[in-house]
Order: sequence, then structure tokens, then C-alpha cells
Amino acid sequence: MQSDFQIARHYFGHYLKPYPWQLIISVLTVAIYCGAAVYTPILLGHAVTQLTTVLAEFRAHQTVVMAPFIRTAATMITINVVAGFADCATSAILGWVAGVSTSRMRSELFAKMQRIGVSYFDRTEDGDLLARFTSDLDNIFNAMNQVFVNSFYWFGSLIGVLIMMFSSNVMMGVVTIITTPLAVLVCWFVITHASRAVNEQQRAVGALNGYINEQITGQKVIITNGLQQPSIAGFTSRNATVLQAAQRGQIWAGMLMPVMSGLMLLNTAIVIFFGSWYVLQGNMALGTGLAVVAVFVQYAQQYYQPIIQLTSVYNIIQQAVTGARRVSEVFAQPDEVRSTDGKVIDGVHHGVKLTDVHFGYLPGVEILHGINIDAPRGHMVALVGPTGSGKTTVMNLLNRFYDVDTGSITIDGTDIRALELTSLRNNVGIVLQDPQLFSGTIRDNIRFGDPDAGDAAVINAAQQARIHDYIMTLPDGYDTLITDEQSVFSAGQKQLLSIARTILTDPPVLIMDEATSNVDTVTEAQLQAAMNAVTRGRTSFLIAHRLRTIVHADEIDVLRHGTIIERGTHAELMAANGFYAQLYRDQMPELATNA
Amino acid sequence: MTNDINQVQMLVMSILQIVLRVPITFAGALALALLAIPDLWWLLLAMIVVIGALGAFMTVKMGGYFGKIQHYIDEVNTIARENMMGVRVVKSFNQENAQMAKFNHASGLMETLSIKIGYAFAVMVPGFFMIANVVVGVAVLLIGNQITSHPAYLAVISSFVGYVLQILYALMNAAFIATGATRAFVSLGRIGEVLRHAPSMLFPNRAPVLNLDGGIELRNVTFTYPGDDEPVLKNISFKVQPGEMLGIVGATGSGKSTLAQLLGRLFDPDTGAILVGGHDLRELNPRSIRKAVAVVLQRSTLFSGTIASNLRQVRPDATVADMEWAAKIAQAAEFIDQLPERFDAPVDERAANFSGGQKQRLSITRGLIGQPAVLVLDDATSALDARSEKRVQEALARDLGHMTTVIIAEKISSVMHADRILVMDHGRVVGNGTHAELAATNRVYQTILDSQRNTEEVG
Repeated sequence: MQSDFQIARHYFGHYLKPYPWQLIISVLTVAIYCGAAVYTPILLGHAVTQLTTVLAEFRAHQTVVMAPFIRTAATMITINVVAGFADCATSAILGWVAGVSTSRMRSELFAKMQRIGVSYFDRTEDGDLLARFTSDLDNIFNAMNQVFVNSFYWFGSLIGVLIMMFSSNVMMGVVTIITTPLAVLVCWFVITHASRAVNEQQRAVGALNGYINEQITGQKVIITNGLQQPSIAGFTSRNATVLQAAQRGQIWAGMLMPVMSGLMLLNTAIVIFFGSWYVLQGNMALGTGLAVVAVFVQYAQQYYQPIIQLTSVYNIIQQAVTGARRVSEVFAQPDEVRSTDGKVIDGVHHGVKLTDVHFGYLPGVEILHGINIDAPRGHMVALVGPTGSGKTTVMNLLNRFYDVDTGSITIDGTDIRALELTSLRNNVGIVLQDPQLFSGTIRDNIRFGDPDAGDAAVINAAQQARIHDYIMTLPDGYDTLITDEQSVFSAGQKQLLSIARTILTDPPVLIMDEATSNVDTVTEAQLQAAMNAVTRGRTSFLIAHRLRTIVHADEIDVLRHGTIIERGTHAELMAANGFYAQLYRDQMPELATNA
Repeated sequence: MTNDINQVQMLVMSILQIVLRVPITFAGALALALLAIPDLWWLLLAMIVVIGALGAFMTVKMGGYFGKIQHYIDEVNTIARENMMGVRVVKSFNQENAQMAKFNHASGLMETLSIKIGYAFAVMVPGFFMIANVVVGVAVLLIGNQITSHPAYLAVISSFVGYVLQILYALMNAAFIATGATRAFVSLGRIGEVLRHAPSMLFPNRAPVLNLDGGIELRNVTFTYPGDDEPVLKNISFKVQPGEMLGIVGATGSGKSTLAQLLGRLFDPDTGAILVGGHDLRELNPRSIRKAVAVVLQRSTLFSGTIASNLRQVRPDATVADMEWAAKIAQAAEFIDQLPERFDAPVDERAANFSGGQKQRLSITRGLIGQPAVLVLDDATSALDARSEKRVQEALARDLGHMTTVIIAEKISSVMHADRILVMDHGRVVGNGTHAELAATNRVYQTILDSQRNTEEVG
């Protein structure tokens, strides 16, 4: 088990690797900038010394020689201008690196998501997965912008200060850094407590967010059951937890920088007192001494600055490390298994067969116990049965969203696992019970499977799906913008749209899952017609609740608890007077009395 | 909501942390600098003006950028979410590459703007420092030139340099906060909007009226959804006797689901009145309404917890016997008994560990647990197979004969056995009678019946 920091190091290393030149140049510009920054105090010191000499000369000989001083001052100004440009260059380069690398992180995470199998999405809550895109990557971006870029400066100036201090006056240098061990200890102590507290805070916030989400989604239930007070009470208590955790977290985390600042001031005081004492003891000329103290006061502050800055962004670093770990978890998921030399098929010639299929989502919990179905080309096979009997599971297998545990599914005799996955899915179309639409125009949604399809094909598909007329009533027609959340379609119309989407790709094999269960009465007639249009001539597997829609199936398989208990045509099964017959009679009382 | 609150939180945090420090350090440093070397006041003023102007410029420009980048962020997140929720659609249509292209395009726009913002900061921040350092250099030069006439200045050069830098930091902090503040004020505005929105319905704090009988009456009820132009219910009037089972059918847009919501007082009618047990809903204490009328919606949310905790939300003192009774009628006992923990079985987020049919049966159980006088099922059995649905209705009729049941459904087979059926069409009641009567005489009913029958020849 790698630690969070190891994972983070690996993660960030991967994304910064492609930019060696930018990083090297940045090091150079930072060196220039930091060099200037640490040299300036020395120049200031020179200036002070020179002015002292000028004053002394003036008092003694009434002469003024400003030239050396002016040179020094001019140098100071020039160096600072150069440093300014170097600073600008550094920020620009590193800011660019941060921007492109975080963009790559986003793209690669998305690409990885496209490769992962369906089971990960079924197992993971949408909110949690989306958070990796939003808040985790956000935290990483913040860290890249605030920490990564600045860290170059911090290290550069730290090294520069140390060099300057010790090459100037070793003793004063030692005095200046004397509080370092204390600082390290304090830092370590506060950080340990802070990270614990901040983790608690993030956990509490996560729980609160989950609660809010749930309550708002279920607000109708809350209202109709008069649960407003308990709902508010639940929020208040969770909010109080967040408050406590946040206070603790923020106090510890917020304490770090002021404490370090305090240490810095302490350090400066030590330098001033010691330096002054030393000079006053007669160890140094007054002018020189003054200059030295002035210089080392600057160094004392410059020495602590990087440490202070680092501790002030500690929070951000912690969140970025956690973010890197969570994102890395997604990358650790296995990709969907695609065979490298898969066969490509073009249509179904003989049929689709399920042979002794056993499957369970979780190890040890088998859902399908030996399913056998033989669907010749062009036949419609209907799967019926109570909820939980395994019908949707069969559909998950036909498209290789999941793979069978034992047994096989074959098209024209070839195991579907031996086919190229893209080719398999080109040949197997689905219509889901809960159709998902995508942001874009209606036209984009209908030609989702073939973005290059022409308008004629789009309109034809819409007509067959009986949704064309409604689309033409919209002011923008096919160019109407929709998203899954805000669309102009009712639930039933969304299903017609998803049927149009599938019709457009004209797949030889079709799987429809409970497509008629959400529909309102009038559109049901349209849906029936649409379904007839989409199933005609295709080898189709229809998963249905409403028996009237599958009365014409070539074969009806009745599933119960993961096995097929009855099989036959509608007439055969009615004659057999078994489970299916009972189901049918329960749903069709008016037919029973009126037929 | 949470993002806006975060923004405001950060604003408050930065305000508290720095707005206290900034004016103090600024004023203090400025005062001390002027005390030290009063002659250079004009230099300090020039620096403050230049940096202040640059800071203001930066704030304004950045504000626009931040708004735009938020828009790009939203787009990117929408695509990500769609692909997560629609993963089956994307894979089955082999659109992984196309979606990646779409995503990368949106992400690219975000990247470009993000880098642009970075460049802006890369120029401005070093710019500020450069200005300050040049000022320091110029100050030293000027001080030095006057040193013979002001020898005392020598001692304060060092401090003066420090003060100048402090002034700079204060100004920079102010500029950064101002930039962040524009973002937060947008959030503040959005939060304020929600808080200011006055609740549109008033709930009287009267004494609860218990034991309402289950009689329902609608008198000339007209209702339009807020934001719509057309009323969805037009002058509806009907009466239901206590204990009756009433069915309501009609096409989408006919208004039947709206009726369910009005009965539960999720909305108030525009005109007319709805009475339960002889009392206008608007005059009843909300608790009385909840006790008397239970509405089970089609997609009823169950909350994460256990089955028992969900049931106890409605009736905190429900015993296991009460739960068993309700579950039996709702046809949920069958699968609850199979769970090892029975009523203490966990309910995951979004009740993902139950099938659609089981969720509905649990919702019906929840509707029954409070033993309401009126039970409204708004297409609440759509995910059940026909046999379960029939059993639920039989159980309701048999065990709760005294309870008024209103069944709103798409399928006529769901309401066939009701005592009476209302037929709704475009917001009006166009039929009222038994199934046999309506099938014989009501045009709209016949249309619906036909479309639900298998019109093609049965082989």
C-alpha cells in the first residue's frame, strides 16, 4: 500500500515530465530573480556603508564624493528591473506548464473513464465519481497554481539566502538560522494535528452534501409526509458537526502561518539584538556594523519567507495530495477487455445463441443459473418475468457490458468475446428503459450513433419512431437545444427519441428493455408503432412487463429466479395454462371479459 | 448551492483574515514611513496611486475572465456527468472517441482561458513587486543625495525600505481580495435570491383536527403551474365518499398527476377549494393533512437508512406489527421476509439495492403506515407486474374498506375494479362512472381502452 504522498509524487511526476526545458529555463530565471533578491540587501548594506563614509568625509573635510553611492543605488534599481522581468518570465512559463498539465489531467481522466467497464459505474455513486472531476481536480489545479509555481521561488530564495549569508558573515549566518530546529518541530506538531482535523472536516462536509442532495431530491416525499421539521433537524445536526470540525480544522490549519510568522519576528529580534550587542562590544566599526545588522535583518526575513509561504498553503497541498490519490484510484481500475485480434462481423446470418449461461454480479451470488436461448435470425425473443428475475442481467451480457461467468453467447457461432468489441456493439443496438439524452441539438441526439448521418436519415428515423411530428411543432425543430435534465420531451417522448436514435444506426440485433413501462396512453399507440418499426426484420430481444406488446413474439421465455421456467409462443403458453397464462390473464381482464 | 456557499465562505474567511490586517498594516506602515522620512511623501503617494490603479484594472478585467471560465467549467462538467450517467448509451453506440473529442474541445477552451488568466497574473504580480523595488531604489538614491543635510536619515533607511514593502503587500492583498470578491458576490446574490423567495403557501398554525373522515370534495378547482400559461386543471368538481375507491385515468397533460399533488397540498388551487373530511385544506393544520392524506408518487424517493427508519419518518411510533401489517397489504412482505434483517435491512442511497418494483411496494407501505383516511396512488404501481398490482388493490379493498383510495393510472386495467372512475381530458373531467358504464358510453374512455388493447390480430 503506497502512502498518499508516494502516490501524489508519482502522479504529479507523470504530468510534469513532458516539460523538461520549461522547467530548466524556469530554474534559470528563478535563479536570476532570487539572486537579485538576495543581492539587494547587500547593495543596501553597501549603500549604508558608503553613506556613512560620505557623512564622515563631510564632517571631516567638507567634501562630498557621491559617485560610489550613486553607482550602488543605480545598480540596485537596475538589478530590480532585471529581476522583475525574470520574475515575469518565470511566472509565465510555470503558469503555462500548470495550465497545460492540468488540462491533460482532465482529458486523461475522461479518456480513462471511457475505457473502464460498466461495472465500475454501477458500483460507484454518480456524485462521488463526478467529484473526482470537479472538486478533486479543482484542488489539484489550485495546488498547481499556488504551490507549484511558487515553490520554485521559495527554494530558490532559500538557497540564495543561505549562500549570501554564510559567504558574508558566518557567525551572523548561524545566529540567523538558529531558530530553525524549533521551527521544524513546531511545524511538524501543528501539521500533524491540522491534517487530522482537516480530514475530519472534509468528511463532515461530504456527509452534509450527501444529506442535502438526498433531501432535495426527495422533497416531494418530505412535503407530502409533513417531514419538514425532521428534515431541518437532520440538517441542523449535521451542520453543527461540520461547524465543529471546521472550527477545529481551520484553527489548526490557520494557526500554522501566524505561528511561523511569530517565529520569524523572534528570529529578527535575535539578529538585531545579537548583532547590535556584537557591534557595540567594539568588534566592528560602527558603519560596517550598522550595515551588517541591516543586511542580516533582511536575510532573517527572507530566510523565513519561503517557510511561511509553504505553511500558509499547507491546506491546499493536503487537499491536492488527497485529490491525486482519489484520481489515481480511477486510473487503477481495469479497462474493458477488448481482444486485440477480434473478428469483425457485418450482420447476423444465422442467429444469436445463449448456451448454459451462468452469471452473478458479485462472486458467490449467482443471478443466472444456466440460461439457454436460441434466437434464429430475424426472430423476436421476449423475456418476461417478475422484477429481479434476471431479465436486465441478460441484456447486460448480450452487449458485453458484463461477461458471462461460464457458458457462452455466440453470434453465428462465434463467441462474442472473440469479436472486436466495437464491431459487436455496432451490430447490437439497445433501447433502455431510462433513456439518457446528451447536451446538443435534437438532431445531434438522433444521430448520436453516427454523427455524420445526413438530415434525410435523421428525419426518416424520427418518422419511424413517431416523434417527427412533435419535433416539427417546436420553434427550432431539429435544432432545438436539449440536455438530459432540461428538455422539451416528456418521459414517453424521450423513449421515442431513443428509439429513433437506435433506428438510425440500423443494428441487426436489437435489445429493448422495458421500453413501454413509462409511457402515457396516447403515446403508447405511437410507441407500439415505433417498436414495430424498429423490431421488424431484426433479431431482437424484448424485455417486457406489458404482455400485450410481446404477444407476437416468435418465442417467449419466462424467467423466474434466474432460470427459464416456460418457453413457447403466446398461443402455446396460453394453452399450457401455466405461469405465463396467469400473468396474462391478470393484465388483460378486459380482454378476458370482452374477447 | 454548495459551490455558492463555498465561495461566500472563502470571501468571509479572506475578509476576516485580511481586511482586519490590511488597513492596519497599510495605515501603520504608511504612518511610520512618513514619520521616518517625511520628504518622500510624494514618492509614496505616487507608488500607492500607480499600484492602486493597476490593482483596480486587474480586478475589473479578471472579473470578466472568471465569469467566463465558470461557464466553461460548467460545460466540461456537464459532459463528464452525461457520460457517467449514460455510459451504456455511449458504449453501445461506440461513441467513446466522439465524446472524448467533444470533451477535449470544451476542455481546450477552458485551458486557453486559464492560461490567459495565468499570463495576466504573471505580468501583474511581478509588476507590482518591480514597482515597489524600484521605488525603494529611488528612495535610497534620494535619501543619499540629501544625506549631508539630513544625517539622521541614515539610521532609518533600513526601516523605510521595510515600510515600503509592507505598503505594497497591503495593496496587493486588497487587490486579490477584490478580485475574489466579485466571484463571491455573484454567489451571494444567488443565495440571497433563494432566501428572499417568500414561501408562496401559508400554513395556519391551528389546532390539529384529528380523525378526519376520508370524504373528498373538489369545488370548481382551477390550477396553473407557476410559469405556465395554460391552466392544467379547469374548473374541476367532484365528490368522493369516505371508503370509496376512485380511479382516475387520462392521457398525459390531462391533469391527473396534478390532482394528486393538490390533494396532498403540494400546491394550492388558483380558484376553488379542495376539502378533505369537510375541511378546506388551506384551513387545516399541516399535520392534520399529513395524517389524513397519504400521497404515494410514482417515483417515490426512499431515504438512505433502513426500511424501518423510512417507515418511522412518517409514523415515529410504528411498531414492527404495524410495519408488518402495512407491508402485507402493499405486497412488500413477500420480499421483506426474505431479507435477513427484515425491516432493519439497509436502504442504500437512492434505494439502489432494491428493484423498481420493490421500491414502489416500499413506498406504498410507507403510505399505509400512518393509517391515513385517504390514500392517493399516483401511478404508484407502474413498475409492478400485473399480478402484484392486482393483489395490492384487492388487499386495499379488502383490508381497508373504510379508507378512501384514489388510484391514478395510465392503464385502465389498474382502475377497472374501482367503485367509480373519473376520466380526465385536457384538464377537465369528461367522464364519471363505473368501468362498464364508461366503456359503453364514454368516447374518451373508449379511445383509451382501444389503444391499450392489442389492436392487431391475436394469432
